[in-house]
Amino acid sequence: MTMAANMDASGALGAERYETDRAGYLLVAFFAIPFFLFNILPVLFGVYVSFTRWSIVGSPKWVGLENFSKAFSDQWVAVAFRNVFLYGLVIVPCVTGLGLLFALFVNKRYPLSGLARTLFFAPTVVSATVIGLVWVWMLDTQYGLVNYYLSFLGFDDIPWLTSTRWSLIGVSIASVWWDLGLAFVLFLAALQDIPGEIIDAARVDGANRWQRFKHVILPHLRPVISMVVTLQLISTLRIFSQVYVMTNGGPASSSSSPIHYIYNLAIVRNLFGYAAAVSLLLFALILAITVVQRFLLRERA
Amino acid sequence: MTAWLDQKLEARGLERADLFIWPLGMAVAALWALPFVWMVSTSFKFPGDVMTKDIEWLPHRITLNNYIKVFDYPVIRWGFNSVVQATVSTFLCVLFGAMAGYALARMRFPGRDTLFYVFLASLMIPTEVSVIPLLLGFVKIGWASSYQALILPSIGNVFSVYIFRQFFLSFPKELEEAAKMDGAGPFNLFFRIALPLARAPAIAASVIIFTLNWNNFLWPLLVTFDESMKTLPVGIAAFTPVVGTQTQIEGYSVAMAAVTILSIPSLLLFCFLQRYFIQGLSQGSVKQ
Repeated sequence: MTMAANMDASGALGAERYETDRAGYLLVAFFAIPFFLFNILPVLFGVYVSFTRWSIVGSPKWVGLENFSKAFSDQWVAVAFRNVFLYGLVIVPCVTGLGLLFALFVNKRYPLSGLARTLFFAPTVVSATVIGLVWVWMLDTQYGLVNYYLSFLGFDDIPWLTSTRWSLIGVSIASVWWDLGLAFVLFLAALQDIPGEIIDAARVDGANRWQRFKHVILPHLRPVISMVVTLQLISTLRIFSQVYVMTNGGPASSSSSPIHYIYNLAIVRNLFGYAAAVSLLLFALILAITVVQRFLLRERA
Repeated sequence: MTAWLDQKLEARGLERADLFIWPLGMAVAALWALPFVWMVSTSFKFPGDVMTKDIEWLPHRITLNNYIKVFDYPVIRWGFNSVVQATVSTFLCVLFGAMAGYALARMRFPGRDTLFYVFLASLMIPTEVSVIPLLLGFVKIGWASSYQALILPSIGNVFSVYIFRQFFLSFPKELEEAAKMDGAGPFNLFFRIALPLARAPAIAASVIIFTLNWNNFLWPLLVTFDESMKTLPVGIAAFTPVVGTQTQIEGYSVAMAAVTILSIPSLLLFCFLQRYFIQGLSQGSVKQ
């Protein structure tokens, strides 16, 4: 997202005459060839696959729009997309809000704030398997740490990962812990870009903490907030690994997600054409969100 | 007394409210690390001491048996696969990304900007979307469950190109011109002059891309059909009660030992190169 803003920095090639550096093509080719073969070609190939019935052995059979019409009446597609909407509703505000709060805290030069920065960011660098297993244990109904401490507050044991009512929340808790680091770092970088003099001036003028935040800091952060929300929304739409590790989508699909359903269609049920079609629906949704966000940013600017 | 306190705080640029905010914030930071502490603590417990009604943060007796048990599974093989997959694809992605980033920033040729736009636009395509057709492709050419399959799709990470292009845009012209006068060709120029000076973006790109590759989950899960080609995250995921059966047999202590082993490389890399992580990430959005 920030990349787009920097796109024009090099200055496009003007109308003036220049000598072509043929070596430029060669230097780019090493990257461009694997990029086109493994990142772009599969997307185009996927469009073709989505119009076929294809199991991993055997050959494809052209079925036209059948996969798409099936997707629109498939209740499990509806469940997966409803779940991902709920995941977004829980994860995006938590990651954005907590990420901003943590960044505001670390940005002040308190003693040990370097340590706090390390701790807030650390979960982001470990793999989904670590996140998933640690939280399956943390959220264990009978012996988990979370229920143990909640019991002191008078709560009964919550079946975080084993009930249809809670499984989505349980996976969301782990996801927030995992995803927060990127939002935190982006906010921190943005806060450090705000010149200290502006904040000091506001303070000298008698603005209290909340006023300084609202009138000085927040306006500076608007673009970053919008970026974090979009990034987190897109990454939540793609939620898979922690779902796979923690609940495998269950119980009764209550924590499944579109990618998890796509995985099941392809690997468990061997329906590659249908899986490709559902992938494209998800892609369309992600693309729509990106375009809307770009549009809104431009409106405001 | 209060005047003295205010003065002290003032000198550090703090206010009275900070006296509450600081301990609160540090407590939250400590809380944030608790799952890791719990993970390590559990990994040293005797299986009988794990599921207890009362929480034991510091085990009253410890054992290394859980770590030994982890190696009953082909963890060394998975680790080897992970190391090969992550290092080779990171090395190629960073090297090729640096070459492309240099060409896109410093050289002029028709189609250059279009190419860069295509690279950027591709960031809108989530990898998960292309994973099913990619798998079909690898199966059809007989490369499923191979190192090629694990490595090749991670080379084209645009983040690498982007970070190097940004760096080379502000690269001093004089250095290039001096070398050109000496008759250095473009490849010489890149490998002898430009690349050695690009240490900072190279480290930033390497640590971030290595972490992404090391943690990569969906693609290795899809493309490895046999136990011996699994990567560490995929192999160890089977220690979960839902997905696999190992935890039911071995209990949480062995599972926690396994994930402790798995998280050590990422956490060490992060602790030592934190600065590069944060600089690199804040330079642009990363495709995770």
